[in-house]
Amino acid sequence: MSEEILKALTQLYAIITKQDGGVTDTERDFVITIFKEDLDQDSIKEYLALYDEFVGYGKEVEDEPDRKKLTSVKDSVKTLAICRKINKTLTQKQKVVVLIKLLELVGSDRNFSSQRMEIINTVSEVFNIVNEEYKLIESFILYTGEDRLDKEDLLIARKRADEELQFTKQLEVSISGELIFLKVRSVDMYFIRYLGQEEILLNGFAIKRGLTSHFSHGSTIKTPVGDALYYSDLVRHFLSEVESVSLSFVASDLQKQFPNGAFGLRDVNIAEGPGKLIGIMGASGAGKTTLLNVLSGIDMPTAGSIKINGVEFFSDESEKIKGVIGYVSQDDLLIEELTVYQNLYYNAKLCFADFSEEELEKRVMSTLANLGLDQRKDLRVGNALDKTISGGQRKRLNIALELIREPAVLFVDEPTSGLSSRDSENVIDLLKELSLKGKLIFVVIHQPSSDIYKMFDKMMIMDVGGFPIYYGPPVEAITYFKAATNQVGADKGQCPTCGNVNPEQIFNIIEAKVVDEYGEFTNKRKVNPTQWKELYDTTHKPEKVEEIHELPPRSLKIPTYLKQTLIFAKRDLLSKLSNKQYMLINLLEAPLLAIILAFLVRYKNSPDSLSYVFRFNENIPVYLMMAIIVALFMGLTVSAEEIIKDRKILKRESFLNLSWNSYLLSKVTILFALSAIQTILFTVIGNLILEIHGMTLTYWLVLFTISCTANVMGLNISSAFNSAVTVYILIPLLIIPQMVLSGLLFNFDKLNELVSTKGKVPVVADMMSSRWAYEAIAVRQFKDNEYESKFYDFEKDEFQADFKSSYWVKELKNRLNHVIENHKSTDDATAAKIRGNLELIKNELIDEAGTSVVNDIDLNIACDPTKFSTAIGLELSRYLEKLAQKYLDEYNLAVQKKEKLIYGLEKSFSYDLGDIKNQHYNESLADLVRNLSSKERIREFNGRLLQNVDPIFNVPKAPINSINYRTHFFAPVKFLFGATYDTYWFNLSVIWGMTLIMYLTLYFELLRKVIVAMEKVGSKFARKEKL
Amino acid sequence: MRKISYFLLCLVVFGCGPGKKSDEQAFLDSLNNLELDAPMISEEVIAEIVQQVPSPLEISYLLKDAGTQYNFGFLNTPDNSSNYNSNFQKAINLGIYGTDLGYANIYEENQDAIKYLNSIKGLANDLSIGQYFDFGTIARLATNSKNLDSLLLITTQNFNDINSYLQENKRSNLSVLILTGGWLEALHITCQVAQANPTNTQLIEKIGEQKITLDNIVQLLQFYTQDPAIADLHKQIVELKATFDQIEIITVYAEPTMEEVNGIIVTKDNSSTTVNITTENVEAIRAQVLKIRESIIS
Repeated sequence: MSEEILKALTQLYAIITKQDGGVTDTERDFVITIFKEDLDQDSIKEYLALYDEFVGYGKEVEDEPDRKKLTSVKDSVKTLAICRKINKTLTQKQKVVVLIKLLELVGSDRNFSSQRMEIINTVSEVFNIVNEEYKLIESFILYTGEDRLDKEDLLIARKRADEELQFTKQLEVSISGELIFLKVRSVDMYFIRYLGQEEILLNGFAIKRGLTSHFSHGSTIKTPVGDALYYSDLVRHFLSEVESVSLSFVASDLQKQFPNGAFGLRDVNIAEGPGKLIGIMGASGAGKTTLLNVLSGIDMPTAGSIKINGVEFFSDESEKIKGVIGYVSQDDLLIEELTVYQNLYYNAKLCFADFSEEELEKRVMSTLANLGLDQRKDLRVGNALDKTISGGQRKRLNIALELIREPAVLFVDEPTSGLSSRDSENVIDLLKELSLKGKLIFVVIHQPSSDIYKMFDKMMIMDVGGFPIYYGPPVEAITYFKAATNQVGADKGQCPTCGNVNPEQIFNIIEAKVVDEYGEFTNKRKVNPTQWKELYDTTHKPEKVEEIHELPPRSLKIPTYLKQTLIFAKRDLLSKLSNKQYMLINLLEAPLLAIILAFLVRYKNSPDSLSYVFRFNENIPVYLMMAIIVALFMGLTVSAEEIIKDRKILKRESFLNLSWNSYLLSKVTILFALSAIQTILFTVIGNLILEIHGMTLTYWLVLFTISCTANVMGLNISSAFNSAVTVYILIPLLIIPQMVLSGLLFNFDKLNELVSTKGKVPVVADMMSSRWAYEAIAVRQFKDNEYESKFYDFEKDEFQADFKSSYWVKELKNRLNHVIENHKSTDDATAAKIRGNLELIKNELIDEAGTSVVNDIDLNIACDPTKFSTAIGLELSRYLEKLAQKYLDEYNLAVQKKEKLIYGLEKSFSYDLGDIKNQHYNESLADLVRNLSSKERIREFNGRLLQNVDPIFNVPKAPINSINYRTHFFAPVKFLFGATYDTYWFNLSVIWGMTLIMYLTLYFELLRKVIVAMEKVGSKFARKEKL
Repeated sequence: MRKISYFLLCLVVFGCGPGKKSDEQAFLDSLNNLELDAPMISEEVIAEIVQQVPSPLEISYLLKDAGTQYNFGFLNTPDNSSNYNSNFQKAINLGIYGTDLGYANIYEENQDAIKYLNSIKGLANDLSIGQYFDFGTIARLATNSKNLDSLLLITTQNFNDINSYLQENKRSNLSVLILTGGWLEALHITCQVAQANPTNTQLIEKIGEQKITLDNIVQLLQFYTQDPAIADLHKQIVELKATFDQIEIITVYAEPTMEEVNGIIVTKDNSSTTVNITTENVEAIRAQVLKIRESIIS
């Protein structure tokens, strides 16, 4: 208190006491006692002198009644001036204390003249103390035990509740006289007065009879008989809410054993009702967090049970208590990009489906106001590097996120770590208040300050190895451990002069080490955890709590799945939008890549090298693959961190029992939308630069599809791995096979025999979405561009017939001739070759004709090496000749049609085919899909002839097995379930099918489960090796 | 609002589209019902006539002897090869490029020769006759004018092979077109050179002599007039024939005599041919050939 204020107060005391008959010695003594509380010996003298001067003590009082009136007016003016001065400096709490002091001063010799009371009344008015409260304080201080005093905010503790004196609040204590408690509602302070003869100890000090004392947080009152009255117990009587909360939390014989065999918890028994703030302390590694996790149901205990209102955790009924529990973890579980308000708002939205928008807003605002965050509501939460709100505020916001849904039982892990002492106190204060409203709160606390320590109702102290070694009132813990080790002053828990406790003492005692003969500490403890536990078990009987069997109250009402998805999506979107860097990079990435890529591969390529023509751009096939890789990459990188980033928030929200599917759907929705935007930007810009006409939608759909697959793939790895770094290291592992097996870089026919099937796309490649995408885009671009689409059908006939007549029939003829010439040979090698050739001829011809009898020749007989004769050979030869003629005619007809078409289009419909071709047809792509670079046009594989050229014109034969989807690469159509599909749509469907499958693995977290299983196996091996 | 109106505009445009399209659709449908046309005449007859047409490369000697400068402007630029879409265009231009290759070759314009070779390769591949060109050998020969004889031999041989292959595959129309293209280009170059050297009577006579070859070509094209593109060409060639018909070729027959030259007995052809051709005729031919060629190479 500043000198100025002290002076002002001294003056105030003087003014009051000199009214009506002047100061008495009792009053002067009382002033001295007040001074003693705040001042040292020297200052007391100084201020006393000041007081004496003001009050005119020791001077003869000039008894002049007419002047009296004048003085009092003058004093009133002075009083006002002083009070205004005080008003500017003192808090409301301090002002209440000043008012109480003034009343006590007057009450010290019970001189209640109207003048005096009037001045005090003025003071209270200027101090802005409500009149009713003033009256209450007045009656509390002036109460002598004779008249009846019964007020809402008063509690009387006495030996036995008199039947005729029924108070609103009363308490039975074995003391003589009465102990009165006052609650000053406006400032939330408690005061006590004792009217009796016994020595009642408040925090170890005797209460002066009749005087008012501040009953602060964590205070304890001890009666001579040894009964203890704890702050929390008493305060509870003033809180009406507590009574209505019916809650019992019983944990019995909890044990937790880790997979490696070590114990995390042993024999923990807790039984609590509503409205308690329980601290958990212990050296590091003592199992505090383990205990909290087990109690909150995050971890399953190895043995023992936990019941809330009789409903056991991890039982079939545990659904009923979902949402009753809240957990505030040590880490910040906030969405950094959102504001304080948004964080809370979306959380509330997920909790209260039945709230209207107004109700929600009100709830959020009141929660924010309760936590003193209302001024900060529009600030972004930020992170450790980009701070916008303080650590304390973050912690409070974390708590608010749990509080807003008002769980009946709240677990808080180290809420004060890293906070300033003021912030720490604020946070614990808040928890205390909540407990007073009927919540049961467990708090793991580390090195609490004296004030914080005393705020707890109970303290559980854990020792290394998960032993609970103390469970009871906090201050008593100190006396208990002091007594247990026979220390001096064991009966005093707190410092006799300052009232401080030192929780460190407890740990010093618990962990005291044995000293060796050289006076050095050894590693051996004087009392080991087991002994401490035994000692505690012998000295303390476990408390019982009345178990309640009605269901605990819960305000939680989770929205429908669809609503959850929407809320999640909106929240995610907002947080993404507020991250400007993220948005900018994501939106610029695609256009930039498109510009770089397309710009680089656009060159003057027309035959005269003067201009750019799409048709002659040799880079188009590679560009298409790069576009797919870009889409994959963008999709993967944008999603790879999504779930990892949210994991903390997911942990918090796991207590809400929200839908994982809704969460995933929201992620997928947003990512898909982002992918759609990215890919459309990429496609439009890339196609503009490279002058790819009429294919924007085609490309976009493929790139979007592939990006979506990558999104879900990214989410999969994001859900399975723990750190973003791991995930980013994994990306090449996912992308490179996609590149290698896309079909462009390496020919599918020239891969290791283990994976490749000649003439078909290898199954490993079928698992790559890039291969489907590339095929889709290449086939579509070639087949359905404005130029080729006019000719494709004719060219298909033309090139197929050409292949058959020029290569296929010729090859068969060659083989037949070989057979005819050598079928009489006895040489083994030749015979084998003949068998092979006949088999091949048979296979090919049966396949061709669809029947085994062609031209009256039964191929099964004709191609039997034992029955083959030259005559049969010549017969077959004639048949082949006929086939050749047939295909020749087909070829010529197709060519004729095409010629007519070209002529007609150019002459009758004035098409500029050259121009159309230049704009829509790409030569390099045509070479690729027609496989013209291949030297071999026909090959033998597994007794069949394979067409090696013009895959794009080669319509595969419908397979016998209807689920056989496999064809050669760049096939124009695909088969499945007996139907034919266009390659483009078929491939897109395949990729979406993959996306769906990966969504399911994501939903069931299969990848994560596999990895966890693998880790388990790995650790088992590691342990075995150690043994 | 503006967007909506654009959208409406698009609808209208697309909505009006089918009017034009339906004609085209009918045309496309008609194609599907097309039956295979084959020439009335047998492949053998065609082959016989084809054999009678001399190789255009033969003219190259004449040009070189005339001592005129190489002029790339006379030729069809190899860059055009990508403009040809139909087999008609491909085949006839293949013939043209063949002649151009020979012309570039006698003047040792190797860079141009390589370019023509590439164009020929592309067209030949498109016509599925690429296998008859040994491009490695041709490239080696074509870049050295001293090998002109070998080149002549090899191309003639190639052409014969191609011819028989196409004949076998009932695609003699392509042979005819290749031949026509080669001949037309040779005639064109000769006309151009002749215009630059009006005093060179040998050149002018040579032009006149083409009347005989032209008759063969008209005859050949006649067989394929069911192909509309060939029909068009045939019409033009017939017009050219009308001009050529004004030229008179008089052959005075005389008995051949035996003479000893350097100790070897040789038969001497004593018949003489007189070509009556006016400069107007040459000019008319030049202009007509230019026009026909223009319609082919563009």
